[in-house]
Amino acid sequence: MSNIATPAAPDALPDTGALPRKNADAAPVVVYDKVVKRFGALTVLNGVSAQVNKGEVVCLIGPSGSGKSTLLRCTNALETVDGGRVVFEGAPLPSKEAEVRQIRRRMGMVFQNFELFPHMTALENVAVGPITILGADPAQARAKAQALLEKVGLGAKSGNHPSALSGGQQQRVAIARALAMDPDVMLFDEPTSALDPETIGEVLNVMKRLAEEGMTMIVVTHEMSFARRVANWILVFDEGRVIEEGPPARIFDAPVQPRTRNFLSHLGWSG
Amino acid sequence: MTLDWSIIWQHRGDLAHGVLLTVALSVLTMAIAVPGGVAVMLMRQSPLRPLSWVGTVFVEFFRNVPLILLVYWAFYVLPILADVQFSAFATGLMALCLNVSAYNAETFRAGVNSIRKGQMEAAMAMGMSRSQAMRKVILPQAVRRILPVVASTWVSLFKDTSLVSVIAVGELAHTALQIRSQSFRVLEMLTAMAAIYWALGYPQAKLVDWIHRKYGVTE
Amino acid sequence: MDFDFSPIADNWRFLGYGLLVTVQLSLATIAAATVLGIGLALGRLYGRSWLRIPLTFYVDSMRAIPVLVVLVWTFFAFPLLTGVSLPPFWAALAALTLHIAAYVSEILRAGLSSIRPGQVRAARALGMSGPQIVRKILFPQAVVRMLPAYGSLLSVTIKDTAIASVIAVPELMRQSDTISAQSFRPIEVFTTAMLVYFLILFPVTRLVDAFYRRVAHLGRS
Repeated sequence: MSNIATPAAPDALPDTGALPRKNADAAPVVVYDKVVKRFGALTVLNGVSAQVNKGEVVCLIGPSGSGKSTLLRCTNALETVDGGRVVFEGAPLPSKEAEVRQIRRRMGMVFQNFELFPHMTALENVAVGPITILGADPAQARAKAQALLEKVGLGAKSGNHPSALSGGQQQRVAIARALAMDPDVMLFDEPTSALDPETIGEVLNVMKRLAEEGMTMIVVTHEMSFARRVANWILVFDEGRVIEEGPPARIFDAPVQPRTRNFLSHLGWSG
Repeated sequence: MTLDWSIIWQHRGDLAHGVLLTVALSVLTMAIAVPGGVAVMLMRQSPLRPLSWVGTVFVEFFRNVPLILLVYWAFYVLPILADVQFSAFATGLMALCLNVSAYNAETFRAGVNSIRKGQMEAAMAMGMSRSQAMRKVILPQAVRRILPVVASTWVSLFKDTSLVSVIAVGELAHTALQIRSQSFRVLEMLTAMAAIYWALGYPQAKLVDWIHRKYGVTE
Repeated sequence: MDFDFSPIADNWRFLGYGLLVTVQLSLATIAAATVLGIGLALGRLYGRSWLRIPLTFYVDSMRAIPVLVVLVWTFFAFPLLTGVSLPPFWAALAALTLHIAAYVSEILRAGLSSIRPGQVRAARALGMSGPQIVRKILFPQAVVRMLPAYGSLLSVTIKDTAIASVIAVPELMRQSDTISAQSFRPIEVFTTAMLVYFLILFPVTRLVDAFYRRVAHLGRS
């Protein structure tokens, strides 16, 4: 079988034709085309090319500092690329701030540190986006927010401020807040890295349900069992490049690249 | 040495008027210097180079010059520069406003900058504009940090109003010193002056302590 | 509007002397106030209650009374009360020291209290005695944490010396006032005075900031 994906060379889109990908015949939601990002003298992304199809859950794994989070932040233009481009729903990301804002409304982002607004209750956190940005009717927005909070299991906590919520609860509110904008894709930046072990599960469960409902998700994570069970596609990062990609079964059970094997074994992953 | 403390009671009307002027100066100055400080802060953060330069120079200059000298300077220079005769009260007020605006601008800047970058990012990731993010997310949080500092600035301002006495503005210090000169009751009047400031300032200082405790940064 | 800066040039010695007095008074005040302030802080934190209560009252009172009032009282009223007459410079030094020491003690007290109790516990677990802990663990960290506030206090002291002009201390403000009145050139003289103060104060705050940035990590726990 020669249909094992060759490691993504910096100047070619990966050859994934032979491997079945979800919704591969439809237009991809996000395409990374030779993305380069530098911070001063440091090149953090060295020509990353990949794509995310509709309804796929794509997990980005790899050592710290390999560029995963940076790529995610380039997706919604929190960072601007220095080379290559990010294409969202067929159009490259605009450079003008006002236009980028419109695009961001169609993406939801969940941060490692939750970044809930501490001066607002959980309900207000979830409702502030639709009210302020989409101009929704406040009563309707709050009703929808309540429903979303119930969906993530926090209906009873909607009147609480973030300081009264555990880390896992806060992150679930953050997910509800991102969902309130009806995004086409959800971006997760190490959503469970700042959580106590007991609360990681409740967040991953919400994410799993979201995936089952067909949400397109790009997830930077160290939770390998989550990636193994829930992801449709894995991108393995190292030193600013995608060194390997494929379905989770192959990446985790039969990785090709020695650096991938190295990384997985360091995490104690024995396959 | 015979002491005549009744002099204080005799002049209670004048002293009360002095207190009134002290309070008026403080209130007016803060009323002008809060929006003034916001304006200067916005200037400093402006992307236009000349504007941000003016803002920075304003802050650095008026924080690094003694207020009493500024009062004298305003008294002598402003009438010539502006070709208008200002009352001593207005002159003193202007000097105080320039001084406190500079401090406020710095306080507001530090307060806004102390909010975690992630909060702005989370707001922008949802699609908020910078000004929307400032209004809904950053400023409400920054106000909690800024309030205790402005309270301390107020107490300093209240004491600094005594400096405009040197250009004969009839606030408390000037009034007390005048009565001292006229009555030769030096010890009584100076002690009374200190006592009145103490009576006004001590509760204010305690209130500021309470504000610092209540709004203390818990992060 | 013609400007004539010659009075400044003609009287440079007179004004220079004022600058010297300003510097002397500032340095003497900050030195004395630091010593007194440390004593006040230690007394308030670790002293018996008969000591703590009057000290707290003293510190809070100094926060309530303007410097001008303390200066004027020390120079005019104190001699009447005690029969001891203080020359202007010394009256100013005494008044400013008493005033600034209160702030020094507050800064030090806040600095000491801000150190995590875990540090004390760790030191105690090693077997250190109370005074040793204060000397070797708390004090050095507190000093670093205090630096920004202390630096701004230094700046305040220099500015407050200008108020000593009202009790005829021949510092820069007073000397400038004299020349300005003599020469009828207030704009030139006072503008120059402002620039001189700015040129002293601006580097002082910048230097303290820079020094603090260098050593800040030593106080972080």
